[in-house]
Order: sequence, then C-alpha cells, then structure tokens
Amino acid sequence: MTEKAVEQTFAALFALTDLRQIFRETKPAYEFDSEQKRRIMQIIENVRLCLETIEKEITK
Amino acid sequence: MKRIMDEIEVRVREELFININPIQSGGRLTPEAMKALIAYGDGYSTCDWCKKPFRLDKIQRPPIDDFHAELARFLGMDQVRVIPGARRGFQAVVNSLVEQGDSVIVSSLAHYTEFLAVEAAGGLVKEVPLTTNNVVTAENTAQKIEEVKKETGALPKLIMIDHYDYMLGNEHDVCQIAKVARDYEIPFLYNGAYTIGVMPVNGKEIGADFLVGSGHKSFASPAPSGILATTKMWADKVFRTTQMAGDVTERRFGIKEVEMLGCTLMGANLIAMMASFPAVQERVKHWNEEIKKINYFAEEFLRIDGNKVLSEMPRKHCLTKVDTTGSFNKIAQTHKRRGFFFSDELKAKRIVGGFVGATRAWKLNTYGLTWDQVKYLAQALHDIARKYGINVA
Repeated sequence: MTEKAVEQTFAALFALTDLRQIFRETKPAYEFDSEQKRRIMQIIENVRLCLETIEKEITK
Repeated sequence: MKRIMDEIEVRVREELFININPIQSGGRLTPEAMKALIAYGDGYSTCDWCKKPFRLDKIQRPPIDDFHAELARFLGMDQVRVIPGARRGFQAVVNSLVEQGDSVIVSSLAHYTEFLAVEAAGGLVKEVPLTTNNVVTAENTAQKIEEVKKETGALPKLIMIDHYDYMLGNEHDVCQIAKVARDYEIPFLYNGAYTIGVMPVNGKEIGADFLVGSGHKSFASPAPSGILATTKMWADKVFRTTQMAGDVTERRFGIKEVEMLGCTLMGANLIAMMASFPAVQERVKHWNEEIKKINYFAEEFLRIDGNKVLSEMPRKHCLTKVDTTGSFNKIAQTHKRRGFFFSDELKAKRIVGGFVGATRAWKLNTYGLTWDQVKYLAQALHDIARKYGINVA
C-alpha cells in the first residue's frame, strides 16, 4: 500500500464534511436546489472514487 | 443514530435541527474547521515543526505566526494571542493591571468570568448601573468612576465593558465609554465575546486598549478558544516574558509569557480557528443581513398575542431575549406537560436550543441561519400559537 490510500482517506472524509455542511444549510426540510443537488452528486462520486482507490491500494 | 462509543452519542443537532441556542450560533464550525479537527486532533499536532524560540505564536508550519499577524490587522490592534476562552483574556489583563483592593469597573450586565478574574486578582468589581433601556452609557460610566474615586480615594485600574451583553444582546456605547476611559487615563478592555468574528470590530477605531474575543461564541471555532489583542503600549505589560530562574538549576524560560503560561491554544482548536478565519473575515461583512433576519423574526414573533421582546428594539444583535408569559406560558398552566409542551412542540418541528421547559422569559439567537430557516422558525411559532388558540395578528 502507498501513501495514496491515506491521502484518499482524508479526501473522502473532507468530501463527506462538505456534505455535512449542505445538510446544515438545508435542515430541517432538506429541499435541495439544483446547485446543491449537483454538489451532492459530485461529493458522492468523489467519495466513491476515493474508496475505489483505497480498495485498489489495499488489495495490491 | 450511531454512537462514537457506548455512552457517547454522535452530536447531530446542527445537521437535523434548527438550533436557536443563544450562545451556540456564532461558534458553529465552518466546514474548513471541521476538516481541521479531523486532521489535527492529536494532542501536540501543532508542535511538529516547532523550532527555536519554541513558542506557539512563532511557529511557521502550519503558519501560526502569520495567523497572529493577520488576526491583529483584522482587529485593528498591534499584537494578539490566542487563548483558551475569553475568560483567560480577562484574567491575563486583570492579573497584569490589578492589585489587592484595586477597583475595576464592569457593566451591570457583565459576564460572571469578569467577576472571577477580578476576584482572583484581589480586586473589587464596581458595576455601572444600567439606564432604563438596559444599556451602559458613557455618562453612567463617568459617574461610577467619580463615585469610586470618592469612595476609595483612587481611580479604578481598569474598565471592562461588553459591546453586546449576554443577557439581552443590547448594545453598549463602547466608543464613548472608551473616550471616558481615556479622559481619566484608565485602560479600557472591550469585551467582544459576542462581536469579534460575527461583526466588524476595529480596536483602534473604538479606542480600546485591549480586545477580548471568544472563538467558541463568535469565531466559528471549538471550545475553548479565544482572542486577546492589545496595543504596542500595553503589549510589554500583558505579554511580559518570564524573568525568573530556578534556585537549584538556574533554569530560565526566557521567551515564555507569564500570563499566557507559555504556549496557549495548542492543537486542533487553534488550527480550526485558523481554518475558519477566511470565512470569518468574509462573514463579518454581512452582519447587516443577519440583523435584517433577526428583525424580521422579531416582527413575526410579535404578531403572536401576548409576546414581547425584552431586548432593545429594533434589534442590533441576533442574540435576543423574549417573553412569552402572555402567550405560551398561559397554555403551560393547564397543559399536562406544563412548560415542556412548548419545547416538545418546537422539537417536533425540528427546532431546538431554547431553554427546555421555559415559557416565560427565554433567549434565542438566529445568527447564521439562512433566510429559509428564519422564516421556517417564525412560521413554526405561529403554527404552535394557532394550534393552542392563541391569536396571530
């Protein structure tokens, strides 16, 4: 495993923190506008890529 | 909800609820600060690159030294130190200036930690009475100084006044009070626990000798954290370095500052403050928008029959004391849950942070809520009022 897995672990945590912030801004109804929906989908995709990289690194 | 471990629940109050707690709003973290907590949570995390002269405010990586310089500029002061809470700022200044039996002028709405700081130094607090509008004026301050002088034969050693107090969120005339302090040549400490980090504050423009701020109240930072800033004139006194040597080892710790007890706010709390700083610099520019929101809320709140706002109106600060004795408290008299009915109703609408069970006088704060959330809050109160037959104009 290289340090890339550690880097991607933090990248995923930071991306999820951005998601947490969106929840804070939209509570309690969570009615997302189009920009928020776009950001959420981008975060989910980023986290998914991070996890894939971590998985690859671990199973090397 | 997940738990961190058996008895420690995950705190999701800010993600699930509108939190109107009067003292928590300005300390809510920015996402950058939350990331700082993730990465810098280990104990001495800020000390990886600590080199000579071995003091927190001199560390260059991460750029803690630059942060101190930029924070001083932001506040219009010459020097600044980060501290574990505003109370440590009061303590450092009072310890430096006040001796046994000296008088210190404070507001009649002063925070208890100002009292404790004075008591610890052996001083005596002398409170400036409020006007009928519950504010501290320059005139009343000058009158109190004269009374102290007459009573004790000496001028007070320090004047500490909150710009906005924690009880009512009322504004006190700090600029004119600072002028009175200058006229009497008494140092003036500006208590900015509820201002520094949420609204523009410039110590030079105010005429303050010391500024004290709270990271966890108003600077989007974790507790404890705070700020003590001063001028060149006072820096050598308050930030004086140790002069003592051990009698056996003759050890000296030359650069360590006595009142700071050496390094102050180490680790994640400081890095979180630094991480929030860009957002804080930006958000103070939008203080007027926050004031529009609280005044909108106050107007809507007052549409409910029997409701009163106990703080000064129109609102100049988001921390606000209200009175619902004539409305929700009447319902509480006969409700099986008594006063808890109100917090139950609020919680059901995903609103928390009011004093649980209180239906007479209570405080709230709308700082940092979006317009949608402020409108939701006002509507929720209308809905609760209507549900219990209280008229909403």
